[in-house]
Amino acid sequence: MNTSPPIDPTQTHETAELKHQNPLTTLRVDPTGRYVAAGAQDLDVQLWNLHDGNHFALTGHRSWVRSIDFSADGNLIYTACWGGVIKIWDLSHEIPGMKLSFQAHQGAARWVRVSPDGKRIATGGNDRMVKVWNAENGELVQQFSGHERHVYGVDFHPDGEHLVSQDLMGAVFVWNLKTSKKQRTIDASVMTGYDKKFAADMGGSRDMQFNPDGELWASAGITKVVNSFAGIQDPIIVVFDWKTGEAKSKLRAAEKFKGVAWAVRFHPQGFTIGAGAEKSGKGEIWFYKEGQETAFHTFPMKSAARALDLVGNDRLAVAHADGSVRLYQMTAKPGEGDANQKATETTGGKS
Amino acid sequence: MRRYQDCNGIDHLIARRQFLAGSAAGAMAANAIGWGTLMSPTTAAGLEQQQKRILQIYLQGGVSQLESWDPKPGTKFGGPFQAIATSVPGMHISELLPHTAKRMHLLSIVRSINSRIGDHSQGMLFMEKGRRAGEYPYVGSVASRYLAPPDGDLPGYIHISKRGINDSTAAFLGARHAQLKLDGNKPPGNLEVPSSIDDSADEAREHLRVQFNQRFSKQRSPALTDVYNSSYEQAAKLMKRKAMFEGKAAEKDLDRYGRHDFGQHCLLARNLLENGATCVKVTHHGYDTHAENFNFHLEQLGEFDQTFSMLLDDLCNRGMLESTLVIVYSEMGRTPKINTKYGRDHWGTAWSMALGGCGIQPGAIIGKTNAEGTKVAEREVDAGHLFHTYLSAVGLDSYRDHDLPGRSIPIGDPAAEPIQELLS
Repeated sequence: MNTSPPIDPTQTHETAELKHQNPLTTLRVDPTGRYVAAGAQDLDVQLWNLHDGNHFALTGHRSWVRSIDFSADGNLIYTACWGGVIKIWDLSHEIPGMKLSFQAHQGAARWVRVSPDGKRIATGGNDRMVKVWNAENGELVQQFSGHERHVYGVDFHPDGEHLVSQDLMGAVFVWNLKTSKKQRTIDASVMTGYDKKFAADMGGSRDMQFNPDGELWASAGITKVVNSFAGIQDPIIVVFDWKTGEAKSKLRAAEKFKGVAWAVRFHPQGFTIGAGAEKSGKGEIWFYKEGQETAFHTFPMKSAARALDLVGNDRLAVAHADGSVRLYQMTAKPGEGDANQKATETTGGKS
Repeated sequence: MRRYQDCNGIDHLIARRQFLAGSAAGAMAANAIGWGTLMSPTTAAGLEQQQKRILQIYLQGGVSQLESWDPKPGTKFGGPFQAIATSVPGMHISELLPHTAKRMHLLSIVRSINSRIGDHSQGMLFMEKGRRAGEYPYVGSVASRYLAPPDGDLPGYIHISKRGINDSTAAFLGARHAQLKLDGNKPPGNLEVPSSIDDSADEAREHLRVQFNQRFSKQRSPALTDVYNSSYEQAAKLMKRKAMFEGKAAEKDLDRYGRHDFGQHCLLARNLLENGATCVKVTHHGYDTHAENFNFHLEQLGEFDQTFSMLLDDLCNRGMLESTLVIVYSEMGRTPKINTKYGRDHWGTAWSMALGGCGIQPGAIIGKTNAEGTKVAEREVDAGHLFHTYLSAVGLDSYRDHDLPGRSIPIGDPAAEPIQELLS
């Protein structure tokens, strides 16, 4: 008999805080739920073992870590930094160590993702290239050109045969890994804006994820740029129908929230989770029912969110701008049932 | 004053008239093929470039010193970018300036500016006037007054920018030395003679205007008509030189400089300097990065770096750099501390600029900040020192008073002095 309390996003509450001295830039939780790894505004990767409480700092990058991924078994961690370097770390030993390091891009490597079979890793960077590497030895397997601006995000489709990449201007390309050709283009230009006052573009994907069956693909970022130099624009998460390439839904925060959506995750129970940073420095987690573009529940946080990931099915780990990773439980506090709803904003009922 | 007198000596002025006449003819001929080819490098290099000029590249909004001239990678506030070596051994600048890095032997850096102003307007005024307050002329207007030949075909101080209002730059120097602001590449307004007025009618109305002026000035101070006269004369000269603003830049130049606004503005600046402009200011907007400082500096400095490097190459290759003071500056720097929006805010406490060319010792680094960039550690200077330095570099005595009837106003702030070790 399963005695776990039911998942109820409206009951979300903080359960733990993992502190670091510098603001965090990104975060990833290993698929087994053992490790949470975070990049920061320094040169190290912070690694916390959620099972035994141990903490490690993985040192070796020469620039901020922008993106992290784990192997399916949680024994390998892949990190990408603003210096364009990819590192692979082995976590299978008592003391984690660097396994491989290579220069992947000229300028920042903004994103790294491991393929579903664990044999390849994909990266995207400021040299406008998308590259696929042998995950074992770091050899370049494929590279794709065509983006005209910085590549902000890249991810494997769950079928392992396709790759999606998104650039600053919202150009999304689907690459066929069998033919090594661009297969199609998806328009995500709603996720970019030109700031007329400052004569500069702002946009790009700040996080992306496929749902487990690969029918949906979501990208988090910004829209409706008003004054991007002051952080005045709306966060947005666009959920695309993978087959048609059409934007199926555009998930929004409350109108008063001006900032950036830094995270999106599909929950196995069918709702979608987003997180963002408000220009004031505070953060929010948003919960959306399928088919609805307004959050049915918003969880306010004291510090801006810069990344979010699921820990199992019932917890969330959030990387914050104040330097902490905080863990949030999506079930009722023991013995409290629905009583703590008053601390958060909820519309439209439970999921 | 020795250099000042030399710069405005009669021999120089005669040579300059000949130079300008040649340029005007060249402009007419080149119009058909675009203004990028107005003067060949060989022709320019062959000319005796004695007139001192100033090129101001204004990075509006406050470029981050940590993402440009004073990188501190791996430190608490250093940001994500690396420092790269330059053409000057031991000198490193941000990786966002790879083209400029290869040309740093032509430039010097001042890393120890403490203007104590974290405000756009006040910071800009201090940097332009060298005074914290008061009605004083901008450095461009001072250049117009003391460096531009009285019969120059172009206004002495031209500002190329697609934003902002017309600043009041001349103060007591008079309208003749005020900034002519160009809206990007567009020519100044009303350069065309109305089609209903033919040449003889135009000549007749000008004759009438002069007659009225002469009659008016017999009974009143000539100063009252001087401003009007100079405006008309300047407009008339611009109308004759309107070809400079027409035509399309050469494709090869657009490829080198970039087809964006800043690229085209810098091409126009090169053209103006080649054709006798004394001070040209180009504003590159977009550095007020309270949010997304790093992404925006990538974009903005990427645009600046290549374009500026091409302009520097052209000035150098055409023999103009020795007589052209190049200033790359902002109104302030940006905070070392990074805010929650990945932004850096206003900061006047410890920041940087670059300059080179006429009168400047190349390859120097003046001053330093502390390890985290939060304070000036050595050789603190402010905009008063910089103002004196600019004028000294172009041969003007910045301790001298402005030449005004009945008034004695020091050109530079008497409490400041030039950065002597920066002068060649």
